[in-house]
Amino acid sequence: MGDARLSRWLVAVPMTALALATIYPMVFTTNIAMKTQREYIFNRFSPSRSVQWDNVTTAWTSGDMAQYFINSLIVVGAAVALLLLLGSMAGFALSHLRFRGSRALFLGCLAALFIPFQVIMVPLARTMADGGLIDTYPGLVLAYVAQFLPFTIYLMTSYYSGIPGEIIDAARIDGSSFYGVYRRIMVPLGLPALLSIGILDALFCWNDVLIALLMMPSAEHRTLMVGVTTLRGQYSNDIPTFAAGVLIAAVPVMMAYLIFQRQIADAVTAGATKG
Amino acid sequence: MKQRMWWPVVVLAVAVGSAACGSATSNDNPNSGAGAGKLVVWDWKSSDKNAQNFVAKAKADFAKKHPGVTVEFVAQPFDNYYTLLGAAIQAGKGPDVMLFNGGGQIRDRASALLALDEYVAQDKNRLAGWDAFSKDGKIYAAPITLQGHPTYYNKSVYKQAGLDAEKPPATWDALLSTCATIKAKTTLPCFSLGNKEGYGIQFWMSGMGSGILTPAEYDNWIAGKRDWNSANVKTIFATWKQANDAGLNTAGPNSTAMFMDQFTKFEGGKAAMVFGLMSDVGGWHEMNPILGADNVGVMLAPMVTPGAVPSLAYDGGVGYGVAKWTKDPSLAADLVRSLTSTDALTAYAADAGAIASDKTVTIAGGGPAAAAITAAIPGGKPALHVALSAKTQDVMGRVSQQLLSGSITVEDAVSQLAAADQTG
Amino acid sequence: MDAGRTGGATAHVAPPVAQAATRRLRSDRLAPYVLVAPAVLVIVLLRLWPLLLGVNFSFTGDGERNGTSVGLSNYVELFRDPLFRTALRNVGLLVLLLPVAVAIPGLLATFIFLRVPGHRFFRTVYFFPAVLSPVIIGAIFNLLLGADGPLNAALETVGLGPVDWLGEPKLAIFAVVGVHIWATFGMALVVFLSGFATLDTTLLDAARSDGASTRQVIWHVIMPGLSRTIQFVFVTTMIGMLTSMFGLLFVMTSGGPGGSTYLPEYYIWTQQGQMNRPALASAASTVLFLVMLVIGLAQIAILRRGLRED
Repeated sequence: MGDARLSRWLVAVPMTALALATIYPMVFTTNIAMKTQREYIFNRFSPSRSVQWDNVTTAWTSGDMAQYFINSLIVVGAAVALLLLLGSMAGFALSHLRFRGSRALFLGCLAALFIPFQVIMVPLARTMADGGLIDTYPGLVLAYVAQFLPFTIYLMTSYYSGIPGEIIDAARIDGSSFYGVYRRIMVPLGLPALLSIGILDALFCWNDVLIALLMMPSAEHRTLMVGVTTLRGQYSNDIPTFAAGVLIAAVPVMMAYLIFQRQIADAVTAGATKG
Repeated sequence: MKQRMWWPVVVLAVAVGSAACGSATSNDNPNSGAGAGKLVVWDWKSSDKNAQNFVAKAKADFAKKHPGVTVEFVAQPFDNYYTLLGAAIQAGKGPDVMLFNGGGQIRDRASALLALDEYVAQDKNRLAGWDAFSKDGKIYAAPITLQGHPTYYNKSVYKQAGLDAEKPPATWDALLSTCATIKAKTTLPCFSLGNKEGYGIQFWMSGMGSGILTPAEYDNWIAGKRDWNSANVKTIFATWKQANDAGLNTAGPNSTAMFMDQFTKFEGGKAAMVFGLMSDVGGWHEMNPILGADNVGVMLAPMVTPGAVPSLAYDGGVGYGVAKWTKDPSLAADLVRSLTSTDALTAYAADAGAIASDKTVTIAGGGPAAAAITAAIPGGKPALHVALSAKTQDVMGRVSQQLLSGSITVEDAVSQLAAADQTG
Repeated sequence: MDAGRTGGATAHVAPPVAQAATRRLRSDRLAPYVLVAPAVLVIVLLRLWPLLLGVNFSFTGDGERNGTSVGLSNYVELFRDPLFRTALRNVGLLVLLLPVAVAIPGLLATFIFLRVPGHRFFRTVYFFPAVLSPVIIGAIFNLLLGADGPLNAALETVGLGPVDWLGEPKLAIFAVVGVHIWATFGMALVVFLSGFATLDTTLLDAARSDGASTRQVIWHVIMPGLSRTIQFVFVTTMIGMLTSMFGLLFVMTSGGPGGSTYLPEYYIWTQQGQMNRPALASAASTVLFLVMLVIGLAQIAILRRGLRED
């Protein structure tokens, strides 16, 4: 027994080292963002002498980070709303409504899940261009919906499958239409899943860079992550402000993680275990 | 049962897939970015503080000719500029007027641009640097700046090492010994080098090339007759590798970005020399305030091959071209002419420290570095790397990184480049 | 309702309530289709159709040959391009590194499941990098791994000399993969932990009380019990490596140095943009898709056989 205890503590050592390695990069970046330019030149990696937010304000105002932030909010908000709406409707239909082609549709949805964006990016860009959707908010929102809808439908379908059919039958006997069932039963009952999946979808959209680069080339409509890629060139002389810009982009996600950690993990595992 | 359902789908998919009837690049035209009475300009400069006067003057000049037309400038980040432009070209819609670097980037995309010869005929004598924007005898953009590759050196570092700051090395051996002295006395490396984007080799080639190729080889190169396997061309790459192996460069060139780390390091006094530019970025205008105008020296290429005639490498820098899909070509061409008007260019040269393509614009201030450059322009020749296609430049960037890390030999490098240059 | 009067036929005049019921019956029959229609539209138009279109494009030409059929010449050019061959070689490298990328979270999950001290803390911390965008991670690690960055500074104090992690062609790809694993192992960890939650603990206890060592327990009880989870993690990690390293490549190396960190997805990006060759890019996309299909199916087959033999 003593051996087992000892070996457990021994294992804890490298695991702690790994945990530190996981946190260190963010700490490192925050530290640099707190330094003044002068302090950075003289003493790059030592702990910052003070906690000052000037760099963050600079990056936010003159770095256009504020505009990019808003762009991301708009796009991600709209995309997640659409994803949850379409995903829950389809999830309901696929899990409880028996209709011709439902199995084929579900398999098709799974198949679409395995088509990575890179494989369709050239023709998609062409299709979007032909539709006049390049560099528009609706265009990017549609692209995100298309990208994450299969995943959303898959998760909503598995979740809804767990709701017993009796509840629906009871409602039907009471005279409700399917649309009524959707509105009055599936949506309220689905709220936990909608929350988890919504947050996960939001995370994916917020963090994306390839789709945004392709669909929103202009500077004014740029999303936050694309903005971060241009930061280095802008602040090559001023690493602390660059680090502050990176922080601005990272903080919302970190906050979301701290608050919604449970939901995110639930959504991720739902995909794995119910498959 | 399931199988019967899938077969038609598969057959249909294969049929559509192999029909090869679609086209990856859109062919349809006038759905361009601008409506009537509006022109859209893409570049990477117009958001710079230094360019505001330039933009204002150009707009004013254009408004005199076409009062009702709005001009909208959209500044893109430079790293993505050509990717974004590529997407716009494929979509067949985008800006009316676009900024280009001279050389491969514009020549590769000439098919999407309007030939401007008839519109800019009046400016041909006033402006210089047309070569970089011409292809097959036609002009595709009007130059606003001249761009060249002088070699800058930090005079105070030279003095610190006990060297004569007014006599930079004139031969390859002198260069090597100068660098050794600097290393010994100041521990600084000779060159600040950033080759992450693959531009480092371009600047080396153009900065050192006039001292390595004979005048005849140089002129042939520009004219398109390039023998990559010749001894002197190999020397370009051999000296590139040798300089790195001898420790002449700052640490980690392959992972250092030229823009802006390479220049930041030189300006921070971390290296003695740098291959720079003539314009607002990476040039005397940027260096003078930081290092002190009197400390920024300019040298020509050291003579590596006996009989070579070192000269300043310069050509058209950036210029504005017109897209083929623009609704009103002469309107867009007029905007281009306004962008290259003397007023606008004077403003740009003054604010940004660029050397304008307008021969009538002179540089005031600028210190000894700018004076040395201006003096070298009459005897200058087009830059070697600008004559290469974008594809060849791309391959060159990669093999240069491999040369620095020792993964390939010079022979291998030039044979890859010869192949790329042929198909490119 | 009065079947007798009309002779029992199915059609009869129904009272209002039943009429409404019939109407609803009809709209209800359509309901499933209406509910799935928008989703199907989006997926077919913007996911499945472009897939076919892309294959179509790959047989056409670029530039002056836009829209014309060029047969297999794009594919020939692809396989002649040393850059694309490097990209494929890197894919092979990723496949070889895959077991490592799966074993690390697997092992960590095992220890967390076995309640190593601090396991709750580890759980939270390990997942954290997975929520960060690759762009942010790349930006940070650019600073960390730079030739004059803190990692090299630390190595120098131990006397191991500075290493140009992102500038040495032989090292750079490993550096990027390392960062990718750092960024994503938390996801796999969470999936493994959920798999553990469904593990039958009675088997575990039985094995333990039979005196099995930890290693035996892992090999003979845990791994077979987790076989589906392991399969899932393998497949998703592979997909992740092949398709979500773009952000890192874009920010950290741009495919360099010397093209040594090229992956097919980055090749597609540069060809369709900077190099203005969308048809060639489409050919590369098709190859990528086929490669993923083959690797994915092969993995599933191998894993299913391997884990069943236990």
